[in-house]
Amino acid sequence: MDDFELAYKDADSFFHRMDPVSKILYVTAVSFVAIFNSSIVVGVALFAFVFFCAAFLTGISLRTYWTLGKVIMPFILIVAIVFPFFYAGQVTTGSEEIALRTPIRDLSWAALGFGALLALRFLAIGISGLTFAFTTHPADLVQGVSRYGMDYRLVHAPVLGLVLFPSFVQLAREISTTQRIRDLGQDRNWLQRKVGRMRHLAFAMLVLGLRRGQTQAMALDIRGYGASKQRTFMRPLPSSTAGRVFAWTFFAISVVYLVVQFTNMSGAMVWNWA
Amino acid sequence: MPEPAIVVEDYSFWFKMPGGDRVLALDKVSFEVETEDFTLVLGTSGSGKSTLALNLVGILPDYFGGWNEGRIRVRHPERGLINRRELSAGERFSIVNMLFQNPEDQIVTLTVEEEVGFALENYQVPRNEISDRITAALDLVGIADFRERSTIRLSGGEKQRVALAAMLAMKPQVLILDEPTSNLDPIGKEQVLDAVQRVRERSDASIMIVEHEVDEVYDSVDKVLLVDNKHVVGPMSPREFMRSNGLHVRDEMGLWIPQATEVGLELAQRDVVLDRMPLNGDELVHALRDVIVARPARPDTDVPAESTAAAATGEQVAADAGDGRDAADRESVIQIRDVSYSYASRADVLRNVSFDIRSHEVLAIVGQNGSGKSTLAAQLNGILRPSRGQVLVDGKPTTAYKFAKLAKRVAYIFQIPEKQFIRGNVYDEIAHSLQALKVDEAEIAERVDAMLDQIGLADKKTLSPYMLSHGQKRRLSVACMVISEPDVIILDEPTFGQDYRQARRIMEFMTSLAARGSAVTFITHDMRLVAEYADRCVAMSEGRAIFEGGPAELFSAEDVLRRTHLKMPPVMAFCNELLGETVLTSADAVERIMEVVHGRFRTGLQGR
Repeated sequence: MDDFELAYKDADSFFHRMDPVSKILYVTAVSFVAIFNSSIVVGVALFAFVFFCAAFLTGISLRTYWTLGKVIMPFILIVAIVFPFFYAGQVTTGSEEIALRTPIRDLSWAALGFGALLALRFLAIGISGLTFAFTTHPADLVQGVSRYGMDYRLVHAPVLGLVLFPSFVQLAREISTTQRIRDLGQDRNWLQRKVGRMRHLAFAMLVLGLRRGQTQAMALDIRGYGASKQRTFMRPLPSSTAGRVFAWTFFAISVVYLVVQFTNMSGAMVWNWA
Repeated sequence: MPEPAIVVEDYSFWFKMPGGDRVLALDKVSFEVETEDFTLVLGTSGSGKSTLALNLVGILPDYFGGWNEGRIRVRHPERGLINRRELSAGERFSIVNMLFQNPEDQIVTLTVEEEVGFALENYQVPRNEISDRITAALDLVGIADFRERSTIRLSGGEKQRVALAAMLAMKPQVLILDEPTSNLDPIGKEQVLDAVQRVRERSDASIMIVEHEVDEVYDSVDKVLLVDNKHVVGPMSPREFMRSNGLHVRDEMGLWIPQATEVGLELAQRDVVLDRMPLNGDELVHALRDVIVARPARPDTDVPAESTAAAATGEQVAADAGDGRDAADRESVIQIRDVSYSYASRADVLRNVSFDIRSHEVLAIVGQNGSGKSTLAAQLNGILRPSRGQVLVDGKPTTAYKFAKLAKRVAYIFQIPEKQFIRGNVYDEIAHSLQALKVDEAEIAERVDAMLDQIGLADKKTLSPYMLSHGQKRRLSVACMVISEPDVIILDEPTFGQDYRQARRIMEFMTSLAARGSAVTFITHDMRLVAEYADRCVAMSEGRAIFEGGPAELFSAEDVLRRTHLKMPPVMAFCNELLGETVLTSADAVERIMEVVHGRFRTGLQGR
């Protein structure tokens, strides 16, 4: 695999100077508001805010965001187009007046708003997640979380995941190629063949992955990984007061908004599961 | 007097098997490694070299279980020689450390700086000291300018040097390198061995290197240690080792030995005794010049006339195959015509490549990693389709074939055998290819049993392919692709992780298939293999096929060797110097030297 885009991008920006825990707070707040918000206005405002942060406070080009973001765009479009047809008053996003007549079902403004809200929800979460990934050095994440008492060995696991991810994707591709070369499941129907190939892929990945993991564990051990509970961190941890104020303020506003929203609904859930 | 850095005394180790059984892997092993010594560890695949290394470093038995007896003492910087048991795991690894075979398996962070500093952070070295130690370690292995680079984008050789630097930053007393170059292309190999040499000159660590291909390191090591069937022989000086064990390790154990030494030993068998055992080409040339000039000429009656004629005309001396691989029988099976290919993420990986693949022929594709060899091979059986140009199989473009049908005609054998296994046991793995062709069950059983006998796995047919040794897996991966008698066989790095005997076994099997009419193509970095087995070579560089011709022509084309970073086999280099002619294998070199020693060509030599 030649390219690996889901990685830290070096730059000097407001978000790069924030400590990782503040950024975790930011992403958490965005995610909770996005998930539980039922107002299209707040949905648009949240998306605009997150987009503004990504465009002007991270030092990362929008093209870089697009490179990864485009992967989920088909999914978001499907959500925005398909879900209005299944609208049944789940959220309060507009009037019941018919906005669009289709051969399948007439769609109200509320139904269209529902689709838009779902799309904005995924966009806001996706963009804030990428902002975190692009501006947080994995070693800083390990160090930042360790300062709050979490074992560094546990937090290093995601870093290892990032290192190993490209080679596992490559391995999966090669095993899939083997299945095609050797015509695995040639005597079965399409579905059985697919299931058989998935099962073999999972088994082969497990066996080869375990073997790889064993060597990787040895490599970690002989470099003193876990030799003691504490470790030195050679990178100075980024930290800025402005960043902390920003994150905590945003987090507090989000909590207040969600509390107000739940309160106004007299304790009822936003979603109408019925 | 040099002091020992590590002392192994009556040490035995047993693996713990499922069900609680013990399997003896090292039997009362005793030896010492002295401070600052550079020791080569030799042994067949599966002989226990890696087990010994893992025991020395302490991974076994502490991390993966097993039982041991005896003791291993290591030199502590302050406390002198002490039993390894008295050290904590962290201290132990900072005294004896190990570099693994596959660079991919030991990179654990995202940048070079973090990778080298990782152990220092774990050992709580003060932050202000870490930077200096990273700088010193990177400088020692010659990659000072790599500090900010991403580990993900490094080549294999670069990754291996980063891993070496990460070990050196810990300032270990003993450094164990477990086949550090086996996964690398020639330039990566050269980079790593240069780095090891630099470490040797500039640090006081003892280095133990486990290697199969010994030509490039043998003359620079101080000691040789042989691991043979759970026991250890040595350490002894390289010259003494070859004098007393050279032919035994080659013929009985099936290990590679340096070609110059091999020639020296063979000559000694034929009564041409050199003053001292040559360890490299220069020493052989020096020793032989004296012998050849000093030895009186005598009439010779036992040299075959045709061989003499070939030598007299200065032609390449290569045994006539005589096995059905005559040039006249060769017919083009695959035509590659102006093929170019670009990946979405990388343009022009192949650029206007054209050549033919022929029946009854063994073709070698050589070049650096990234030169386009594997991409080219993937075009041949339709894994990839050309962006421009055509690959014609029997005159029909690969794009016109169904993938599965083409894959049955053009078999591709992966470098890592495990990636190829799709069934639950050895028998089914081989039978699968015939079942896909709807061969009758009785015939399948007959053919699979015959194949199992041929590859020496008849007693393993109910085992899972993953339970086999590396050599057995390699043979199985070949068997399951050739059982269906494909027209073309493509083999990616056939000798990867194999000792000399196993490598020869596979290549001789391939040669026999070529003799029966198959077109065999192998991708390799091993120039000894190319010299010994290839009828024709294609050299790739930056996506282009820059050379097509015989091995002798390839190794004589200096520009091609320079552009592809390939090296001629040592035997060819020293025969060029000594005899002024092209000789590709040790056996041919011995024959030619004997002819010269017998006096037939003295005049030519004396004139040099």
